[in-house]
Amino acid sequence: MKMAIIAANGGMFDAYKVFNIATAAAATDAEVEIFFTFEGLNLIHKEAHKNLPMPAGTEHFQEGFKKNNVPPVDELVSMATEMGVKMIACQMTMDVMSLEKEHFIEGIDVGGAVTFLTYAKDADVTLTF
Amino acid sequence: MEVTVNKTLDAKGLACPMPIVKTKKEMNALEPGQVMEVQATDKGSTADIKAWAKSTGNQYLGTIEEGDTLKHYLRKASSEEEKSQTKHPHVVTLDELSKKIEGDEKITILDVRESAEYAFGHIPGAVHIPLGELEERFEELDKNDELHVVCRTGSRSDFAAQKLVEKGFNHVRNVVPGMKEWTGPTNKLH
Repeated sequence: MKMAIIAANGGMFDAYKVFNIATAAAATDAEVEIFFTFEGLNLIHKEAHKNLPMPAGTEHFQEGFKKNNVPPVDELVSMATEMGVKMIACQMTMDVMSLEKEHFIEGIDVGGAVTFLTYAKDADVTLTF
Repeated sequence: MEVTVNKTLDAKGLACPMPIVKTKKEMNALEPGQVMEVQATDKGSTADIKAWAKSTGNQYLGTIEEGDTLKHYLRKASSEEEKSQTKHPHVVTLDELSKKIEGDEKITILDVRESAEYAFGHIPGAVHIPLGELEERFEELDKNDELHVVCRTGSRSDFAAQKLVEKGFNHVRNVVPGMKEWTGPTNKLH
């Protein structure tokens, strides 16, 4: 199975949507690539991804995450990397936001829309979060 | 029900997708044919483990619930096993076997799968000796009996049938394909 994901939002819930599906797919022997664009870049930003905002009014769910032993986002991210999930930061968004490759976690690539499309054109599953 | 396993993975208290991620990691370390018990409390894990096994070509044996804990049993499949290669010349189909069971003639069914596979469903009355133990235990069988050897796909039972012929058994038949497609009655060790 080949899976292509676009991550375009930068909240904590978005991080779980993206990385839960990505790690589950990688564990099921799928080839996974994620394209991070606009706010989605937060999910792989060295500092930002460790402290992502929860949607307004949902802060009380914090307890639910703890109670159910949901791993922190940075742990999921390193697990995804370890399992071979390929992550691509969007060059154009980085330019707009004055971000450099060093601002992101280890092991990511930088690319444009065509980089992602070339990979995604024959993917079995394509998701946008 | 007691199930013999080669490895136990404790994934209790972990939320999705962690039980699957851990299962994948541990499964990589197992030898083909070995059985793993995955203990989880995530209620979604039963459906997930089943689907995972199907996608990855491993074998899901079943789940036992103990209080809040779900114990899932998985067997690592080997690539050779999926190819059906038959070398023992005398084979019997599942239909023929069904008819023989219903008939008057006394027949012996020998199940050579692992204990966990046998525990989750076998043909009623089948004698159980895992392939790996056949070398030491073949004397438990009667050379005069008509032996019908069965496994999951017909591959391990083929090895077993050949081994039995080597030991001087003359009435040995390999059941093809095997329990994978058996729709007749089964017993469980509950």
